[in-house]
Amino acid sequence: MIKSILRKAHIGIVLGVASWMTGALCAHHSFTAEFDQNKPIKLEGKVTEMEWSNPHSWIHMDVETNGKVVNWALETGAANSLIRRGWKKGDLPAGTILKVEGWQARNGSPTANVNSITFQDGRRLFAGSSNGEAKEK
Amino acid sequence: MSSRVTNARCVFLFALVTGTAFAQLPRTVDGKPNLQGIWQVESRAAYDLQDHSARDGMPAAKSVVEGGEIPYKPEALAKKLENYKNRKTADPLGKCFFPGVPRIMYMEYPFQIFQTPEHVAITFEWSQVHRLIYTNGKPAIHEGYETWMGSSRGHWEGDTLVVSVVDHNAKTWFDMAGDFHSDALKVTERYTLVDKDTIRYDVTIEDPKTFTKSWKMSMPLVRQKQIDHLMEYQCQAEAEESVGLFERDPRTWYPETEKPPAVTATMPPSGPLPALKVAANIKRTADGKPDLTGYFSPGGGGANYGLEKHARDFLTPATRGVVIDPADGTLPYLPWARAERINRELPYRGYDDPTAHCFVAGVPRGVYTPSPLQILQPPGYVVILFERMAWRIIPLDGRRHLPESIRLWQGDSVGHWDGDTLVVDTTNLNGKTWLNEVGDVLTYAAHIVETFTPVDEKRVVYRATVTDPIAYTKPWTIEIPLNRDSEELLEVACHEDNGDLQHLKDVRDEYRAKQKKEKAQ
Repeated sequence: MIKSILRKAHIGIVLGVASWMTGALCAHHSFTAEFDQNKPIKLEGKVTEMEWSNPHSWIHMDVETNGKVVNWALETGAANSLIRRGWKKGDLPAGTILKVEGWQARNGSPTANVNSITFQDGRRLFAGSSNGEAKEK
Repeated sequence: MSSRVTNARCVFLFALVTGTAFAQLPRTVDGKPNLQGIWQVESRAAYDLQDHSARDGMPAAKSVVEGGEIPYKPEALAKKLENYKNRKTADPLGKCFFPGVPRIMYMEYPFQIFQTPEHVAITFEWSQVHRLIYTNGKPAIHEGYETWMGSSRGHWEGDTLVVSVVDHNAKTWFDMAGDFHSDALKVTERYTLVDKDTIRYDVTIEDPKTFTKSWKMSMPLVRQKQIDHLMEYQCQAEAEESVGLFERDPRTWYPETEKPPAVTATMPPSGPLPALKVAANIKRTADGKPDLTGYFSPGGGGANYGLEKHARDFLTPATRGVVIDPADGTLPYLPWARAERINRELPYRGYDDPTAHCFVAGVPRGVYTPSPLQILQPPGYVVILFERMAWRIIPLDGRRHLPESIRLWQGDSVGHWDGDTLVVDTTNLNGKTWLNEVGDVLTYAAHIVETFTPVDEKRVVYRATVTDPIAYTKPWTIEIPLNRDSEELLEVACHEDNGDLQHLKDVRDEYRAKQKKEKAQ
């Protein structure tokens, strides 16, 4: 258990440092061509699916705005990078409530590159023991 | 039966085995059957594994399945029949998705097998797919991680290479007729060299979710003596080009129908580069050359986001760049190419970067794409396998480059050792690749000389000198360390899961629509 928390903590540090440039670091495409740095977004919603894929993984999340629910696609790092850092499929179950910050796609679709993911109480996802608890939710 | 007769029979059989098969089979230095070479299936299995009449685009053929029929469970058979009905649109291969194993082995494209003491690698002409089969007896580092091509571990049973392939996803088919499997698939392949030019390829399929019992198929793989050079067929790139989704740039691409005028510009030689010192304790192969074999992560220095030094911007930290010649770190662009480089950074040009389409990164970009690579040193070659599915085969036999009119995404590479440095000379580039996401320019005229110098146990210093008279005033050189790691390659299925391309196309299309409107006014 302690080992597991330490492992996740290590992952958290790595991802924390990397997160401000998540899109650029693992990208196979230009960040600025797809996302608009002048369209920063803050969203809160419920995870519907974590899609483990390359060259990017995607978190799909239902976000309610003025009574209307929109499913957002949130671009994160490559599945291979997450796997190498000790993550496993199922580590972010559907139903988890998250707050994310990032930049919306230029084409106006509900798509964003995210640079910060936190739980409702402010703990960072992919940071320390937060993820361990996420697994238990 | 007298023991003498039995003995005589044994002697006869032994003589038969040693006199025919054993003595004539090519073998590696460690005594294994030598499978190295270029091979292709001799079978119609790719169309339909079972007995079938002719259909549109599918010649009739006999089953390659032992007993003739695949033992589907009733509900799986219904699914197969539905697949068959919808095959023209539902076949994942029709979308240029990775074919999976065993399908890749019996598609009608050649492939090349390489053997080292710890690996068997297979590089395929089809879309630069590769398989890395570990024969070192160790379990996979990332067991249970699903991929399109599965995870392969091999061992020798006598003269047969037995490969167990697990961790398949459920997205691939076995053939064009809709034969399929689930994610519970386990494939066991047996490669037996029956004579020097024929491998008997036997496959056992186990998938209790789909079949009532395990089943087998068998077919010959035949040495392609007429092919001395595995080239390429980039399925998705060709598909997109043919319908205008990836557009020709006449300034950088090799002309389609006629030979281009000879490039007459003379360039000064490249500047002297700092000498590299090779540590005494580096690992060496049996022939005394440095052993470059291993898994490496590039210390890219941000090269995929610009080769030149750049200040910190919104996303990337400041870097000194990776250009070591010219000494000021600036690429010696001709004015048109500098203007193009600046233009390529505009958002609407992001769609034009071939890697945004998941096409092959090319040379030298494949090396510093932020993704690992595996170097192998089989007899006569250095082979580089990229996690972002692509390969480079570098023959060391002193052969000449391909004819000028054959142009390839990865170019044509030949190599030789200069002391402890591997020197790789690449020409025949197609000019379709960009050097990074910001669009540093490379044209078909480029001649690239790369060096791989193992400076110590952990690090290979990679340099590439690019001489491209269409885009630059003089040659230039970049340097990037490749850092050794104890990891294993996974698979990047990029085109299969490319969620970004449509967004990039939307931005490009919106720009074009706006331009058109402004022009009309």
